[in-house]
Formats: sequence, C-alpha cells, structure tokens
Amino acid sequence: MLSVRSVTKRFKRVLANDRVDIEARAGQVVGLLGHNGAGKTTLVNQVVGIAKPDVGEIVVDGIDAIAHPSRARQRCAIQAQANVPISGLTPALAVELVGRLRGASKSEVRARAKDRFERLELGDWMHRPTDQLSGGVKRLVAFAIATATRVPLVVLDEPTNDVDPVRRRLLWQEIRREADEGAAVLLVTHNVNEAERAVDRLTVLDRGRVVASGTLGQLTSHLRNRLRVELRSSPGATPEAPPGTEVIEAREGLLSAMVDAADSERVLAWVREAQDMGRIETFAIQPVSLEDAYVQLTQDAAEERERAA
Amino acid sequence: MTPVRNWFRAWWLLMRWNAASSKMILPLSLVVQIMLAVGIVIGFGFLAPVDDPATALRLSTGAPTIQLLTTGLVLVPQAVVAMKQEGSYDWFRTLPAPRSAFLAADLTIWTLISLPGIILAVVVAAWRFDLDLQLSFWSPIAAIAVAAIAATIGYGMATALPPRVAQLLTQMLVFVILLFSPITFPSAALPDWFAAVHRVLPMEPMSDMIRTSLAPDAFSIAPAQIVVVLAWGAVAAIATLTMMSRRS
Repeated sequence: MLSVRSVTKRFKRVLANDRVDIEARAGQVVGLLGHNGAGKTTLVNQVVGIAKPDVGEIVVDGIDAIAHPSRARQRCAIQAQANVPISGLTPALAVELVGRLRGASKSEVRARAKDRFERLELGDWMHRPTDQLSGGVKRLVAFAIATATRVPLVVLDEPTNDVDPVRRRLLWQEIRREADEGAAVLLVTHNVNEAERAVDRLTVLDRGRVVASGTLGQLTSHLRNRLRVELRSSPGATPEAPPGTEVIEAREGLLSAMVDAADSERVLAWVREAQDMGRIETFAIQPVSLEDAYVQLTQDAAEERERAA
Repeated sequence: MTPVRNWFRAWWLLMRWNAASSKMILPLSLVVQIMLAVGIVIGFGFLAPVDDPATALRLSTGAPTIQLLTTGLVLVPQAVVAMKQEGSYDWFRTLPAPRSAFLAADLTIWTLISLPGIILAVVVAAWRFDLDLQLSFWSPIAAIAVAAIAATIGYGMATALPPRVAQLLTQMLVFVILLFSPITFPSAALPDWFAAVHRVLPMEPMSDMIRTSLAPDAFSIAPAQIVVVLAWGAVAAIATLTMMSRRS
C-alpha cells in the first residue's frame, strides 16, 4: 500500500530525509519513531503530496505519488499534526463533509462516524459545536475525519497528543481496527511506549536517516538478555547505581540502569539491601522496553556521528 | 462520477465547510462593514466638504468599492495567512479535491460575506445625501464580479508571498485603498504619474465598474478598464492555483 524508496529531501542546509525506505502493507500498522526534528513530518508531507522529494520513489496503492500526487491523495488520508480547522462545525458535520468529499454516500459516512464516535465514547459530543470541545476531543475528531471512509493508506501524525489516558486506549484499538479492516497505517509518534502496543513494524528515524527498521522483536532482540532496573529515592538525592550496571538515566529521586539478566540476582540482593538501609524507597526490575531500545539506537547514532565528525 | 460533477460536488461540500466556519467571523465582519459604510459616507464629509451633488454621488458610489476592496485585499489575505500559519491551509491541500474547487468555494463564501457591506453602503449613502441611485440588473453582477476578483487577488497575495510580507502588505493596502486610490475622488486630483499607475492597478477600474452600475447616467467605464480588472483576476487565479498545487 505504501512503498517509500530512497527518499531524500533537503531544505537548504538541512538534510531532512536521507535515503529513507519504508514499507507498509495492507493490514499493517507501521510506526515511524523519532525525536522532534527527525524528519518524520517531512516524510509524511511527501507521502500526501504537499512536499516533493529531491530523489526517491513513493508509491501509494500502486500510484506513483510523486508523478501523480492528486491521484495518490484519493487513496490516502492523513490526520496531520496541526489541528483540523473545525471551528463552527460539529464533529458529525466535519466527518460527513470529508467522507463525502472522498466519494462515500451520506448514509455510509454517517453510519461509520456514529460507530466510530460511540466506540471512542464521544457519542454525546457528535452534534455539539466544536468550540465546546477540549483539545484532546478535537484530536479524536481529527482522527474520525481522517478515517471517515475506508482508504488504502491512513497516515496518523501524533494522533494521541492531548488525549486522556482512557480514550487513548480506545484510540489505539481504533487504529488497530483500521489495519484489521484492510488499511495500511503509517503511525508517526514519539510516544514510544504506547506505540509498542499497536504497531506491527517500526522504523526509527534519526536526523533524517533510518537507524533501525523491523518488528518489535527484531528491534529489541539485542537487548533480550538485559533487564531494566529502576530505583527511586526521596527527593534531594540521586540513587546510587548498583555495581556492574549501565546507567541510562540519573536524576534527583530516580535512577534507571540496564543489567545482564544473568546478573539480576546479585543486583536484586544489592537493591534490597539498599532499600533496607533506606538509600532507596522503591525499585522495579523489568524486561527492556521498546523505549530502551529506541533510546539506545538514537544514542548509538549520535555517537557514530561524533566519531565521524 | 464525471470530472465536472466531481468538481461541483467538491465545491459544494467545501463551501458548506467554509460557510460553517465563517459563522464565527460573520458578526465581526458585519460590524466592520457597518463601520466602514458609515465611516466612508459620513466620515469623509468631515475631511472635505461634500457640498455639491457630483461629489456626493462620487463618494456614495465609491463607498461600496471600498467595502469590497477592504474585504478582498485585506480580510481575505489575512484569513489565508492565518490558515497557513496554523497549518489548516496544508490540511485542506491533503484533501482529495481539485484546487480550483477549493479556491472557488472559499471565494464564493468571501463574496457572500462582503455583499451585506455593499448594500449597506448604498443604503447609507442614499439616506445621507438623498440620492436616487439607478439600480439595475448590472448592479449585483458588477458587485459580485468585483467582490470575487478582489478576493482572488487577496488570495493570490496570501498564497504567493511569505506570511509576514503578505500581512504587512494588507496593512499598507488599507491606506492605499482608503486614501490614495481614486475611488472617492477623481483621478484628476492625483499627480499625473500616480494617475498613470492607477490605470494599471485594479482599484480605479473596479470602482468605475461599481459606480457605472449604480449611476449609469453620470459615469461610464472604458473596455480597457474591464480588461485591466479581468487581467488582474486571471493572473491572481493562476498564481493562486499554481501556489496551491506547488509542493515545497
């Protein structure tokens, strides 16, 4: 459904995308992760035809999106990072107008929107003026607008921003549903932990370059034998790192470190003793998350850049 | 669906979107239009005495043009610049609608928004100076044409220029329209070189179109002036559509 090959885009001195490859098939949610400024939104803008790559190939549902952007737009819908201009409309009307613009009938769009709003627990808000909606609810309405009809490719740029935790879970389910109904979903986010639950594949961008790509298992496989230790102490002091661990984050009241699984019993004993002595208040030892893998990948990329410089 | 039918469908749906959005600015726009209508017809009389019927007629038939130009060349570009800055302009560009349908939908709404002002200006002028304007079939056509073309030029400005430049230009245009365009006074009052410049700018021919449609016995418009107005509209529409389709 979406194939991005060797896409390079430069804005004056900034190389926003450097030979980026991404593939998203029907039924897949593909996460695009990266820091602010990593080139995610630039890539998305090229997919939906408001920016043009200097080099590369973008194919949306069999259509060359660079040569025929308007035909490609018929086949993809985007929830952009910027808010949709829905002032003066009701959520129901906004979804209906965009759905019909995409060629669906009024009844079809209305039925789909009703189900969507009910599943997102927004039924009461459907016919209210959008000026009465909170930022999070507006974000969910923007999602409903982007998915007003079935399209082969759905691009979601930070869809969970401002959304409350309960509805965020519902939103992840709806994103998954889009893929299950046959769409390819390109999910742009920096919310790594939550993306972990919804995506099938991931691509990590760092300063415009793909630094890793694969399934969740593939991206975290090299950390499979590692565990994460998190220590919390009372404010005013930073917990001491257990010997033989690799510190990831240390600040007032919190320390995160990695430890080899084989070494976990020794570390656990050290941590318990530290707790008994009152040096820490609480602790947790858990498997390494995608966020850990992501942080390590971007740190490795930064170190590589420094060495090259 | 045929491309023509598809175009009209997109135009209609986008127009409904824009109409709903404009509800928010409509009250403010009406207040501005009332103030402008009253301000021009009555306020200009404080600047220079309106002591003869010819001056009264020129002022009265110029006021509607100032209304339309202020909306088209100031309010429209300001609204488009705001859309660009908040990202909604780019969001509209991601929709599967022809760019021309999008432009036409927005122009339709802006034209409708500016029409109460023109009616108001004519009513206030007729009441203030006790004039008998000769409204005809051509009066609304001229008003709609000038409103649409002015809004197209404003749209072109906002899409072709960087946002800050466009905003500064709109501020400057307020003064150019109100004080330095031969709309409420004859071009003979200007230095020759400035009068020559105004022959290729759209303001004077637009005002002549409107005043001729309101008082055909007192005023006339040359075909060359209509060509100037249409040329500005065509260039602005082409520039706008090109910029809307341009990929960064």
